Amino acid sequence: MKIIKPVIKYILLFLIVAVFIFPVVYMIACSFMPQNQVSEMLNFTADKYREINLIPKKVTFEQYYQVFFRRPEYLLKFWNSVIMTVPTVIGQVTISSLAAFAFAKLKFPGRDKLFFVYIILLVLPLQVTLVPNYIVLDSLNLLNSFLAIILPGTFSAFGICLLRQSIIYISDASIEAARIDGAGYFKIFTKIILPQIKSGLITLTLLCFIDNWNVIEQPLIYFDDRGMYPLSIALSDISSTDFGIIFACGVMFMIPPLLIFTYGHKDIDLPFVNADKS
Amino acid sequence: MKRKRKEYIVALLFILPSLLGIMFFYIVPYIISFIKSLYASNTFVGFNNYIDLLNNDIFLLALKNTAVFTIIAIPLLMVVSFLIALFLNSFNSISSFFRSSLLIPVVVPVASLICVWQLLFDDYGAVNGLLNSLGLNAVEFFNSEYSMVMIVLIYVWKYCGFCVVLFTAGLANVPQSLYESAKLDGANSFKLITQITIPMITPTTFFVFLMEIIYSFKVFREVFALFGDYPNKNVYFLQNFINNNYYNLNYPRLSSASVILSVFIILLLLAFFIFERKHSVTD
Repeated sequence: MKIIKPVIKYILLFLIVAVFIFPVVYMIACSFMPQNQVSEMLNFTADKYREINLIPKKVTFEQYYQVFFRRPEYLLKFWNSVIMTVPTVIGQVTISSLAAFAFAKLKFPGRDKLFFVYIILLVLPLQVTLVPNYIVLDSLNLLNSFLAIILPGTFSAFGICLLRQSIIYISDASIEAARIDGAGYFKIFTKIILPQIKSGLITLTLLCFIDNWNVIEQPLIYFDDRGMYPLSIALSDISSTDFGIIFACGVMFMIPPLLIFTYGHKDIDLPFVNADKS
Repeated sequence: MKRKRKEYIVALLFILPSLLGIMFFYIVPYIISFIKSLYASNTFVGFNNYIDLLNNDIFLLALKNTAVFTIIAIPLLMVVSFLIALFLNSFNSISSFFRSSLLIPVVVPVASLICVWQLLFDDYGAVNGLLNSLGLNAVEFFNSEYSMVMIVLIYVWKYCGFCVVLFTAGLANVPQSLYESAKLDGANSFKLITQITIPMITPTTFFVFLMEIIYSFKVFREVFALFGDYPNKNVYFLQNFINNNYYNLNYPRLSSASVILSVFIILLLLAFFIFERKHSVTD
Protein backbone atom coordinates (compact mmCIF):
# COMPACT_ATOMS: atom_id res chain seq x y z
CA MET A 1 0.00 0.00 0.00
CA LYS A 2 2.79 2.36 0.92
CA ILE A 3 4.45 2.00 -2.47
CA ILE A 4 1.32 2.27 -4.58
CA LYS A 5 0.42 5.82 -3.56
CA PRO A 6 3.69 7.48 -4.65
CA VAL A 7 3.64 5.47 -7.87
CA ILE A 8 0.17 6.76 -8.73
CA LYS A 9 1.29 10.27 -7.87
CA TYR A 10 4.29 10.03 -10.17
CA ILE A 11 2.19 8.62 -13.01
CA LEU A 12 -0.20 11.53 -12.59
CA LEU A 13 2.72 13.96 -12.57
CA PHE A 14 4.09 12.54 -15.80
CA LEU A 15 0.63 12.73 -17.39
CA ILE A 16 0.29 16.41 -16.47
CA VAL A 17 3.74 17.20 -17.80
CA ALA A 18 3.02 15.24 -20.98
CA VAL A 19 -0.11 17.31 -21.64
CA PHE A 20 1.91 20.49 -21.28
CA ILE A 21 4.84 19.60 -23.48
CA PHE A 22 3.12 17.37 -26.02
CA PRO A 23 2.28 20.00 -28.69
CA VAL A 24 5.85 21.29 -28.63
CA VAL A 25 7.39 17.85 -28.95
CA TYR A 26 4.95 17.16 -31.76
CA MET A 27 5.98 20.33 -33.61
CA ILE A 28 9.64 19.45 -33.38
CA ALA A 29 9.07 15.87 -34.49
CA CYS A 30 7.03 17.00 -37.49
CA SER A 31 9.66 19.52 -38.54
CA PHE A 32 12.01 16.63 -39.36
CA MET A 33 9.48 14.80 -41.49
CA PRO A 34 9.75 14.66 -45.28
CA GLN A 35 7.29 16.84 -47.20
CA ASN A 36 5.04 14.08 -48.45
CA GLN A 37 4.45 12.83 -44.92
CA VAL A 38 3.52 16.32 -43.75
CA SER A 39 1.15 17.00 -46.62
CA GLU A 40 -0.46 13.62 -46.12
CA MET A 41 -0.90 14.47 -42.44
CA LEU A 42 -2.32 17.92 -43.13
CA ASN A 43 -4.63 16.74 -45.90
CA PHE A 44 -7.89 17.63 -44.22
CA THR A 45 -10.06 16.35 -47.05
CA ALA A 46 -9.23 12.66 -46.66
CA ASP A 47 -12.13 10.99 -44.93
CA LYS A 48 -10.26 9.10 -42.29
CA TYR A 49 -9.23 9.82 -38.76
CA ARG A 50 -5.76 11.12 -38.30
CA GLU A 51 -3.27 9.33 -36.15
CA ILE A 52 -0.81 11.12 -33.95
CA ASN A 53 2.48 10.20 -35.47
CA LEU A 54 5.58 11.31 -33.68
CA ILE A 55 8.12 9.36 -35.68
CA PRO A 56 9.24 10.71 -39.06
CA LYS A 57 9.28 8.15 -41.86
CA LYS A 58 12.71 9.42 -42.64
CA VAL A 59 14.59 12.07 -40.65
CA THR A 60 15.31 14.94 -43.00
CA PHE A 61 16.36 18.58 -42.82
CA GLU A 62 14.47 19.33 -46.01
CA GLN A 63 12.03 21.71 -44.32
CA TYR A 64 14.81 23.70 -42.69
CA TYR A 65 16.72 23.79 -45.96
CA GLN A 66 13.63 25.22 -47.68
CA VAL A 67 13.10 27.89 -45.01
CA PHE A 68 16.68 29.05 -44.82
CA PHE A 69 17.84 28.84 -48.43
CA ARG A 70 14.80 28.76 -50.68
CA ARG A 71 12.20 30.97 -49.03
CA PRO A 72 13.94 34.13 -47.83
CA GLU A 73 10.60 35.89 -47.22
CA TYR A 74 10.17 33.94 -43.99
CA LEU A 75 13.58 34.97 -42.76
CA LEU A 76 12.61 38.58 -43.54
CA LYS A 77 9.43 38.21 -41.48
CA PHE A 78 11.50 36.72 -38.70
CA TRP A 79 13.72 39.78 -38.87
CA ASN A 80 10.62 42.02 -38.74
CA SER A 81 9.66 40.28 -35.50
CA VAL A 82 13.12 40.94 -34.10
CA ILE A 83 13.05 44.64 -35.03
CA MET A 84 9.73 45.09 -33.30
CA THR A 85 10.47 43.05 -30.20
CA VAL A 86 14.02 43.81 -29.09
CA PRO A 87 13.75 47.63 -28.80
CA THR A 88 10.39 47.31 -27.06
CA VAL A 89 11.81 44.93 -24.46
CA ILE A 90 14.89 47.07 -23.81
CA GLY A 91 12.79 50.22 -23.60
CA GLN A 92 10.19 48.73 -21.35
CA VAL A 93 12.67 47.17 -18.92
CA THR A 94 14.64 50.44 -18.61
CA ILE A 95 11.70 52.78 -18.21
CA SER A 96 9.80 50.42 -15.93
CA SER A 97 12.69 49.86 -13.55
CA LEU A 98 13.17 53.62 -13.14
CA ALA A 99 9.51 54.29 -12.47
CA ALA A 100 9.07 51.18 -10.32
CA PHE A 101 11.86 52.41 -8.01
CA ALA A 102 10.06 55.71 -7.49
CA PHE A 103 6.72 54.01 -6.87
CA ALA A 104 8.20 51.51 -4.43
CA LYS A 105 10.74 53.51 -2.43
CA LEU A 106 10.29 57.27 -2.82
CA LYS A 107 7.54 59.30 -1.23
CA PHE A 108 5.70 61.94 -3.18
CA PRO A 109 2.17 63.33 -3.09
CA GLY A 110 -0.40 61.48 -5.17
CA ARG A 111 1.77 58.39 -5.45
CA ASP A 112 -0.89 55.81 -4.69
CA LYS A 113 -3.53 57.49 -6.84
CA LEU A 114 -1.15 57.59 -9.77
CA PHE A 115 -0.29 53.95 -9.27
CA PHE A 116 -3.97 53.07 -9.31
CA VAL A 117 -4.23 54.70 -12.74
CA TYR A 118 -1.38 52.46 -13.87
CA ILE A 119 -3.21 49.36 -12.63
CA ILE A 120 -6.32 50.31 -14.57
CA LEU A 121 -4.21 50.86 -17.70
CA LEU A 122 -2.62 47.48 -17.10
CA VAL A 123 -5.90 45.64 -17.03
CA LEU A 124 -7.48 47.31 -20.04
CA PRO A 125 -7.13 44.99 -23.01
CA LEU A 126 -5.18 45.80 -26.09
CA GLN A 127 -8.28 46.33 -28.21
CA VAL A 128 -9.34 49.20 -25.99
CA THR A 129 -6.01 50.97 -26.14
CA LEU A 130 -5.65 50.31 -29.86
CA VAL A 131 -8.25 52.93 -30.73
CA PRO A 132 -6.62 55.78 -28.78
CA ASN A 133 -3.19 54.65 -29.94
CA TYR A 134 -4.29 54.66 -33.54
CA ILE A 135 -5.52 58.25 -33.24
CA VAL A 136 -2.18 59.44 -31.84
CA LEU A 137 -0.03 57.48 -34.26
CA ASP A 138 -2.12 58.72 -37.15
CA SER A 139 -1.61 62.35 -36.15
CA LEU A 140 2.14 61.77 -35.66
CA ASN A 141 2.42 60.13 -39.08
CA LEU A 142 3.87 57.04 -37.45
CA LEU A 143 1.50 54.52 -39.00
CA ASN A 144 3.28 52.16 -41.38
CA SER A 145 6.47 52.45 -39.34
CA PHE A 146 7.87 49.97 -36.84
CA LEU A 147 7.82 52.76 -34.25
CA ALA A 148 4.03 52.41 -34.22
CA ILE A 149 4.51 49.09 -32.42
CA ILE A 150 7.65 49.92 -30.47
CA LEU A 151 6.62 53.20 -28.80
CA PRO A 152 3.28 52.21 -27.24
CA GLY A 153 4.75 48.84 -26.24
CA THR A 154 7.62 50.53 -24.45
CA PHE A 155 5.27 52.42 -22.16
CA SER A 156 3.18 49.47 -21.08
CA ALA A 157 2.26 49.59 -17.38
CA PHE A 158 2.92 45.89 -16.93
CA GLY A 159 6.64 46.20 -16.18
CA ILE A 160 6.10 48.87 -13.56
CA CYS A 161 3.59 46.78 -11.64
CA LEU A 162 5.80 43.69 -11.78
CA LEU A 163 9.05 45.39 -10.77
CA ARG A 164 7.41 47.45 -8.04
CA GLN A 165 6.51 44.15 -6.37
CA SER A 166 10.16 43.07 -6.34
CA ILE A 167 11.55 46.42 -5.19
CA ILE A 168 9.08 46.96 -2.38
CA TYR A 169 10.58 44.08 -0.38
CA ILE A 170 14.12 45.39 -0.45
CA SER A 171 14.82 46.61 3.07
CA ASP A 172 14.75 50.34 3.67
CA ALA A 173 17.76 50.00 5.97
CA SER A 174 20.17 49.28 3.13
CA ILE A 175 18.92 52.32 1.23
CA GLU A 176 19.17 54.51 4.32
CA ALA A 177 22.71 53.28 5.00
CA ALA A 178 23.78 54.14 1.48
CA ARG A 179 22.24 57.58 1.84
CA ILE A 180 24.18 58.23 5.02
CA ASP A 181 27.33 57.28 3.14
CA GLY A 182 26.48 60.08 0.76
CA ALA A 183 25.16 58.09 -2.20
CA GLY A 184 22.79 59.96 -4.51
CA TYR A 185 19.44 58.56 -5.56
CA PHE A 186 20.70 57.42 -8.93
CA LYS A 187 23.62 55.64 -7.32
CA ILE A 188 21.25 53.93 -4.89
CA PHE A 189 19.21 52.80 -7.87
CA THR A 190 22.13 51.34 -9.83
CA LYS A 191 24.17 49.95 -6.92
CA ILE A 192 21.53 48.70 -4.51
CA ILE A 193 18.21 48.27 -6.25
CA LEU A 194 19.19 46.83 -9.64
CA PRO A 195 21.44 44.02 -8.37
CA GLN A 196 18.71 42.87 -5.98
CA ILE A 197 15.92 42.69 -8.54
CA LYS A 198 17.80 40.60 -11.06
CA SER A 199 15.17 37.86 -11.03
CA GLY A 200 12.41 40.43 -11.49
CA LEU A 201 14.23 41.93 -14.46
CA ILE A 202 14.70 38.51 -16.07
CA THR A 203 11.05 37.62 -15.54
CA LEU A 204 9.96 40.92 -17.05
CA THR A 205 12.30 40.47 -20.02
CA LEU A 206 10.88 37.03 -20.69
CA LEU A 207 7.21 37.96 -20.32
CA CYS A 208 7.61 41.18 -22.26
CA PHE A 209 9.51 39.41 -25.02
CA ILE A 210 6.86 36.71 -25.37
CA ASP A 211 4.12 39.27 -25.41
CA ASN A 212 5.67 41.35 -28.18
CA TRP A 213 6.95 38.36 -30.09
CA ASN A 214 3.35 37.19 -30.44
CA VAL A 215 2.09 40.54 -31.65
CA ILE A 216 -0.79 40.12 -34.09
CA GLU A 217 -3.33 42.90 -33.70
CA GLN A 218 -1.22 46.03 -34.11
CA PRO A 219 0.56 45.20 -37.40
CA LEU A 220 -2.75 44.15 -38.94
CA ILE A 221 -4.19 47.55 -38.16
CA TYR A 222 -1.19 49.88 -38.41
CA PHE A 223 0.61 48.51 -41.47
CA ASP A 224 -0.65 48.63 -45.04
CA ASP A 225 2.44 46.91 -46.38
CA ARG A 226 2.15 43.19 -45.81
CA GLY A 227 5.90 42.93 -46.17
CA MET A 228 6.22 44.52 -42.73
CA TYR A 229 4.13 41.87 -41.02
CA PRO A 230 5.98 39.83 -38.40
CA LEU A 231 6.29 36.07 -38.56
CA SER A 232 3.46 35.64 -36.05
CA ILE A 233 0.97 36.82 -38.68
CA ALA A 234 2.71 35.12 -41.59
CA LEU A 235 2.53 31.78 -39.81
CA SER A 236 -1.23 31.93 -39.52
CA ASP A 237 -1.42 32.70 -43.26
CA ILE A 238 0.74 29.87 -44.50
CA SER A 239 -1.04 27.13 -42.60
CA SER A 240 -3.24 26.32 -45.59
CA THR A 241 -0.78 26.78 -48.43
CA ASP A 242 2.79 25.90 -47.59
CA PHE A 243 2.70 22.41 -46.12
CA GLY A 244 6.35 21.81 -46.75
CA ILE A 245 7.81 24.34 -44.36
CA ILE A 246 5.16 25.06 -41.81
CA PHE A 247 6.60 23.05 -38.95
CA ALA A 248 10.15 24.21 -39.53
CA CYS A 249 8.92 27.82 -39.53
CA GLY A 250 7.03 27.22 -36.33
CA VAL A 251 10.09 25.74 -34.65
CA MET A 252 12.27 28.62 -35.86
CA PHE A 253 9.75 31.05 -34.41
CA MET A 254 9.76 29.43 -30.96
CA ILE A 255 13.53 29.26 -30.61
CA PRO A 256 14.23 32.84 -29.33
CA PRO A 257 11.66 32.77 -26.50
CA LEU A 258 12.78 29.25 -25.56
CA LEU A 259 16.40 30.43 -25.39
CA ILE A 260 15.53 33.29 -23.03
CA PHE A 261 13.42 30.88 -21.03
CA THR A 262 16.20 28.31 -20.61
CA TYR A 263 18.45 31.11 -19.43
CA GLY A 264 15.99 32.52 -16.93
CA HIS A 265 13.59 29.77 -15.88
CA LYS A 266 15.11 29.42 -12.41
CA ASP A 267 14.32 33.04 -11.61
CA ILE A 268 10.84 33.24 -12.94
CA ASP A 269 8.86 32.71 -9.75
CA LEU A 270 11.15 34.52 -7.33
CA PRO A 271 9.51 37.95 -7.65
CA PHE A 272 6.18 36.39 -6.80
CA VAL A 273 7.49 34.53 -3.77
CA ASN A 274 8.77 37.78 -2.30
CA ALA A 275 5.60 39.52 -3.26
CA ASP A 276 3.46 37.68 -0.74
CA LYS A 277 5.68 37.74 2.30
CA SER A 278 4.15 40.92 3.69
CA MET B 1 11.71 69.56 4.95
CA LYS B 2 14.47 70.15 2.46
CA ARG B 3 15.02 66.44 2.01
CA LYS B 4 11.35 65.84 1.43
CA ARG B 5 11.28 68.35 -1.38
CA LYS B 6 14.39 66.87 -2.92
CA GLU B 7 12.88 63.40 -2.77
CA TYR B 8 9.75 64.69 -4.46
CA ILE B 9 11.75 66.14 -7.35
CA VAL B 10 13.90 63.03 -7.71
CA ALA B 11 10.83 60.79 -7.72
CA LEU B 12 9.32 62.91 -10.44
CA LEU B 13 12.48 62.58 -12.52
CA PHE B 14 12.45 58.80 -12.16
CA ILE B 15 8.82 58.57 -13.19
CA LEU B 16 8.94 61.22 -15.88
CA PRO B 17 9.87 59.04 -18.89
CA SER B 18 7.11 56.58 -18.12
CA LEU B 19 4.61 59.28 -17.21
CA LEU B 20 5.18 61.20 -20.44
CA GLY B 21 4.77 58.02 -22.48
CA ILE B 22 1.64 56.96 -20.65
CA MET B 23 0.11 60.43 -20.97
CA PHE B 24 0.96 60.64 -24.62
CA PHE B 25 0.07 57.16 -25.76
CA TYR B 26 -2.69 56.16 -23.39
CA ILE B 27 -4.37 58.76 -21.19
CA VAL B 28 -4.77 61.72 -23.53
CA PRO B 29 -5.75 59.55 -26.53
CA TYR B 30 -8.17 57.76 -24.28
CA ILE B 31 -9.90 61.03 -23.43
CA ILE B 32 -9.93 61.96 -27.12
CA SER B 33 -11.50 58.66 -28.02
CA PHE B 34 -14.16 59.07 -25.32
CA ILE B 35 -15.01 62.51 -26.73
CA LYS B 36 -15.13 61.07 -30.25
CA SER B 37 -17.57 58.46 -29.09
CA LEU B 38 -20.03 61.26 -28.31
CA TYR B 39 -19.92 62.65 -31.85
CA ALA B 40 -21.15 61.40 -35.20
CA SER B 41 -19.55 63.13 -38.19
CA ASN B 42 -18.71 66.27 -36.18
CA THR B 43 -22.09 66.82 -34.57
CA PHE B 44 -22.62 66.15 -30.91
CA VAL B 45 -25.01 63.27 -30.47
CA GLY B 46 -24.54 62.45 -26.80
CA PHE B 47 -24.90 58.76 -26.10
CA ASN B 48 -26.53 57.93 -29.43
CA ASN B 49 -23.52 55.97 -30.64
CA TYR B 50 -23.81 53.78 -27.58
CA ILE B 51 -27.52 53.24 -28.16
CA ASP B 52 -26.83 52.33 -31.79
CA LEU B 53 -24.16 49.93 -30.70
CA LEU B 54 -26.40 48.26 -28.15
CA ASN B 55 -28.95 47.72 -30.90
CA ASN B 56 -26.35 46.21 -33.20
CA ASP B 57 -26.86 42.46 -33.35
CA ILE B 58 -23.25 41.68 -34.23
CA PHE B 59 -22.01 43.75 -31.30
CA LEU B 60 -24.42 42.04 -28.93
CA LEU B 61 -23.28 38.65 -30.19
CA ALA B 62 -19.65 39.63 -29.62
CA LEU B 63 -20.47 40.94 -26.15
CA LYS B 64 -22.34 37.75 -25.27
CA ASN B 65 -19.52 35.51 -26.47
CA THR B 66 -16.93 37.52 -24.56
CA ALA B 67 -19.01 37.33 -21.40
CA VAL B 68 -19.58 33.58 -21.78
CA PHE B 69 -15.89 33.00 -22.34
CA THR B 70 -14.91 35.08 -19.30
CA ILE B 71 -17.45 33.43 -17.01
CA ILE B 72 -16.43 29.90 -18.01
CA ALA B 73 -12.71 30.18 -18.65
CA ILE B 74 -11.49 32.33 -15.74
CA PRO B 75 -12.94 30.25 -12.85
CA LEU B 76 -12.04 27.03 -14.65
CA LEU B 77 -8.42 28.08 -15.09
CA MET B 78 -8.31 29.24 -11.46
CA VAL B 79 -9.59 25.89 -10.10
CA VAL B 80 -7.48 23.70 -12.39
CA SER B 81 -4.26 25.55 -11.68
CA PHE B 82 -4.95 25.68 -7.93
CA LEU B 83 -5.50 21.91 -7.86
CA ILE B 84 -2.33 21.23 -9.83
CA ALA B 85 -0.42 23.57 -7.50
CA LEU B 86 -1.73 21.67 -4.46
CA PHE B 87 -0.75 18.42 -6.15
CA LEU B 88 2.79 19.60 -6.91
CA ASN B 89 3.06 20.96 -3.39
CA SER B 90 2.39 17.48 -1.98
CA PHE B 91 5.75 16.29 -3.30
CA ASN B 92 8.65 16.76 -0.93
CA SER B 93 10.99 17.86 -3.65
CA ILE B 94 10.37 18.22 -7.31
CA SER B 95 12.87 18.44 -10.10
CA SER B 96 13.03 21.78 -11.85
CA PHE B 97 12.37 19.97 -15.12
CA PHE B 98 8.74 19.52 -14.12
CA ARG B 99 8.28 23.10 -13.06
CA SER B 100 9.88 24.42 -16.24
CA SER B 101 7.81 22.18 -18.45
CA LEU B 102 4.68 23.80 -17.00
CA LEU B 103 5.82 27.13 -18.40
CA ILE B 104 6.47 25.83 -21.89
CA PRO B 105 2.96 26.65 -23.19
CA VAL B 106 3.29 30.33 -22.21
CA VAL B 107 6.69 30.53 -23.83
CA VAL B 108 5.83 28.91 -27.13
CA PRO B 109 4.40 31.46 -29.57
CA VAL B 110 0.74 31.23 -30.53
CA ALA B 111 1.49 31.00 -34.23
CA SER B 112 3.85 28.06 -33.88
CA LEU B 113 1.15 25.72 -32.69
CA ILE B 114 -1.67 26.36 -35.15
CA CYS B 115 -0.96 23.19 -37.09
CA VAL B 116 -0.97 21.11 -33.95
CA TRP B 117 -4.38 22.44 -32.94
CA GLN B 118 -5.71 21.78 -36.42
CA LEU B 119 -4.45 18.21 -36.34
CA LEU B 120 -6.02 17.67 -32.94
CA PHE B 121 -9.36 19.39 -33.41
CA ASP B 122 -10.11 18.91 -37.10
CA ASP B 123 -13.34 17.07 -38.05
CA TYR B 124 -11.15 14.04 -38.65
CA GLY B 125 -8.52 15.06 -36.14
CA ALA B 126 -7.06 13.08 -33.31
CA VAL B 127 -9.64 14.16 -30.72
CA ASN B 128 -12.51 13.07 -32.95
CA GLY B 129 -10.66 9.85 -33.67
CA LEU B 130 -10.53 9.22 -29.95
CA LEU B 131 -14.22 10.07 -29.51
CA ASN B 132 -15.02 7.76 -32.39
CA SER B 133 -13.11 4.83 -30.97
CA LEU B 134 -14.95 5.37 -27.66
CA GLY B 135 -18.18 5.06 -29.61
CA LEU B 136 -19.16 8.74 -29.25
CA ASN B 137 -20.32 11.11 -31.96
CA ALA B 138 -17.73 13.24 -33.71
CA VAL B 139 -17.72 16.97 -32.92
CA GLU B 140 -17.21 19.83 -35.38
CA PHE B 141 -14.76 21.91 -33.38
CA PHE B 142 -14.30 24.48 -36.11
CA ASN B 143 -17.91 25.10 -36.92
CA SER B 144 -20.28 24.63 -34.00
CA GLU B 145 -20.75 25.64 -30.39
CA TYR B 146 -17.78 23.40 -29.64
CA SER B 147 -15.51 26.10 -31.06
CA MET B 148 -15.94 27.84 -27.72
CA VAL B 149 -14.98 24.63 -25.90
CA MET B 150 -11.86 24.39 -28.02
CA ILE B 151 -10.85 28.00 -27.33
CA VAL B 152 -11.45 27.54 -23.58
CA LEU B 153 -9.34 24.36 -23.61
CA ILE B 154 -6.49 26.10 -25.45
CA TYR B 155 -6.68 29.07 -23.05
CA VAL B 156 -6.55 26.82 -19.99
CA TRP B 157 -3.72 24.74 -21.44
CA LYS B 158 -1.69 27.81 -22.32
CA TYR B 159 -1.90 29.79 -19.09
CA CYS B 160 -2.40 27.00 -16.56
CA GLY B 161 1.31 26.44 -16.02
CA PHE B 162 1.98 30.10 -15.35
CA CYS B 163 -0.86 30.26 -12.81
CA VAL B 164 0.42 27.07 -11.17
CA VAL B 165 3.82 28.69 -10.71
CA LEU B 166 2.18 31.75 -9.13
CA PHE B 167 0.06 29.55 -6.85
CA THR B 168 2.98 27.36 -5.74
CA ALA B 169 4.89 30.54 -4.88
CA GLY B 170 1.89 31.63 -2.79
CA LEU B 171 1.57 28.22 -1.11
CA ALA B 172 5.25 28.30 -0.17
CA ASN B 173 4.58 31.43 1.86
CA VAL B 174 1.91 29.94 4.10
CA PRO B 175 3.54 29.27 7.50
CA GLN B 176 3.71 25.53 8.26
CA SER B 177 2.92 26.16 11.94
CA LEU B 178 -0.68 27.04 11.01
CA TYR B 179 -1.21 23.60 9.52
CA GLU B 180 0.41 21.86 12.44
CA SER B 181 -1.72 23.55 15.07
CA ALA B 182 -4.88 22.92 13.02
CA LYS B 183 -3.93 19.25 12.71
CA LEU B 184 -3.60 19.06 16.50
CA ASP B 185 -7.16 20.38 16.69
CA GLY B 186 -8.18 17.44 14.52
CA ALA B 187 -8.87 19.20 11.23
CA ASN B 188 -8.94 16.96 8.14
CA SER B 189 -7.10 17.83 4.96
CA PHE B 190 -10.19 19.26 3.24
CA LYS B 191 -10.68 21.62 6.19
CA LEU B 192 -7.00 22.55 6.11
CA ILE B 193 -7.37 23.68 2.51
CA THR B 194 -10.63 25.58 2.89
CA GLN B 195 -9.90 27.13 6.29
CA ILE B 196 -6.19 27.86 6.03
CA THR B 197 -4.78 27.60 2.52
CA ILE B 198 -7.44 29.49 0.60
CA PRO B 199 -7.73 32.46 3.00
CA MET B 200 -3.94 32.69 3.40
CA ILE B 201 -3.22 32.89 -0.33
CA THR B 202 -5.82 35.56 -1.12
CA PRO B 203 -3.19 38.07 -2.33
CA THR B 204 -1.84 35.45 -4.74
CA THR B 205 -5.34 34.60 -5.88
CA PHE B 206 -5.96 38.23 -6.62
CA PHE B 207 -2.77 38.50 -8.65
CA VAL B 208 -3.63 35.31 -10.55
CA PHE B 209 -7.08 36.71 -11.25
CA LEU B 210 -5.55 39.92 -12.62
CA MET B 211 -3.22 37.98 -14.88
CA GLU B 212 -6.07 35.76 -16.04
CA ILE B 213 -8.15 38.76 -17.07
CA ILE B 214 -5.22 40.26 -18.94
CA TYR B 215 -4.54 36.97 -20.69
CA SER B 216 -8.19 36.23 -21.40
CA PHE B 217 -8.20 39.19 -23.77
CA LYS B 218 -5.16 37.81 -25.52
CA VAL B 219 -7.04 34.69 -26.49
CA PHE B 220 -8.04 36.71 -29.53
CA ARG B 221 -4.64 35.79 -30.92
CA GLU B 222 -5.57 32.12 -30.94
CA VAL B 223 -8.97 32.91 -32.40
CA PHE B 224 -7.37 34.94 -35.15
CA ALA B 225 -4.72 32.34 -35.86
CA LEU B 226 -7.26 29.54 -36.10
CA PHE B 227 -10.22 31.27 -37.71
CA GLY B 228 -8.96 34.45 -39.41
CA ASP B 229 -10.95 37.70 -39.39
CA TYR B 230 -14.40 36.16 -39.40
CA PRO B 231 -14.71 33.20 -37.03
CA ASN B 232 -18.03 31.40 -36.71
CA LYS B 233 -20.66 33.05 -34.55
CA ASN B 234 -19.80 31.03 -31.47
CA VAL B 235 -16.36 32.54 -31.06
CA TYR B 236 -16.91 36.00 -32.52
CA PHE B 237 -15.47 38.09 -29.67
CA LEU B 238 -15.48 41.83 -28.98
CA GLN B 239 -11.89 41.96 -30.15
CA ASN B 240 -12.96 40.59 -33.54
CA PHE B 241 -15.65 43.24 -33.68
CA ILE B 242 -13.23 46.05 -32.90
CA ASN B 243 -10.56 44.69 -35.23
CA ASN B 244 -12.97 44.35 -38.12
CA ASN B 245 -14.24 47.89 -37.64
CA TYR B 246 -10.74 49.21 -38.18
CA TYR B 247 -10.97 48.24 -41.78
CA ASN B 248 -13.72 50.80 -42.35
CA LEU B 249 -12.34 53.19 -39.70
CA ASN B 250 -15.66 53.83 -38.07
CA TYR B 251 -14.29 56.02 -35.23
CA PRO B 252 -17.51 56.64 -33.29
CA ARG B 253 -18.37 52.98 -33.30
CA LEU B 254 -14.81 51.93 -32.44
CA SER B 255 -14.49 54.34 -29.55
CA SER B 256 -17.86 53.57 -28.05
CA ALA B 257 -17.17 49.83 -28.33
CA SER B 258 -13.89 50.25 -26.49
CA VAL B 259 -15.49 52.38 -23.78
CA ILE B 260 -18.09 49.67 -23.25
CA LEU B 261 -15.38 47.00 -23.11
CA SER B 262 -13.45 49.04 -20.51
CA VAL B 263 -16.53 49.49 -18.35
CA PHE B 264 -17.10 45.73 -18.57
CA ILE B 265 -13.59 45.06 -17.26
CA ILE B 266 -13.61 47.69 -14.54
CA LEU B 267 -16.91 46.24 -13.28
CA LEU B 268 -15.34 42.78 -13.26
CA LEU B 269 -12.40 44.09 -11.22
CA LEU B 270 -14.69 45.89 -8.77
CA ALA B 271 -16.79 42.75 -8.33
CA PHE B 272 -13.68 40.81 -7.44
CA PHE B 273 -12.47 43.52 -5.02
CA ILE B 274 -15.80 43.43 -3.19
CA PHE B 275 -15.85 39.64 -3.18
CA GLU B 276 -12.31 39.52 -1.82
CA ARG B 277 -13.09 42.02 0.95
CA LYS B 278 -16.20 40.13 2.07
CA HIS B 279 -14.30 36.88 1.99
CA SER B 280 -11.43 38.08 4.15
CA VAL B 281 -13.80 39.69 6.71
CA THR B 282 -15.61 36.43 7.44
CA ASP B 283 -12.35 34.63 8.00
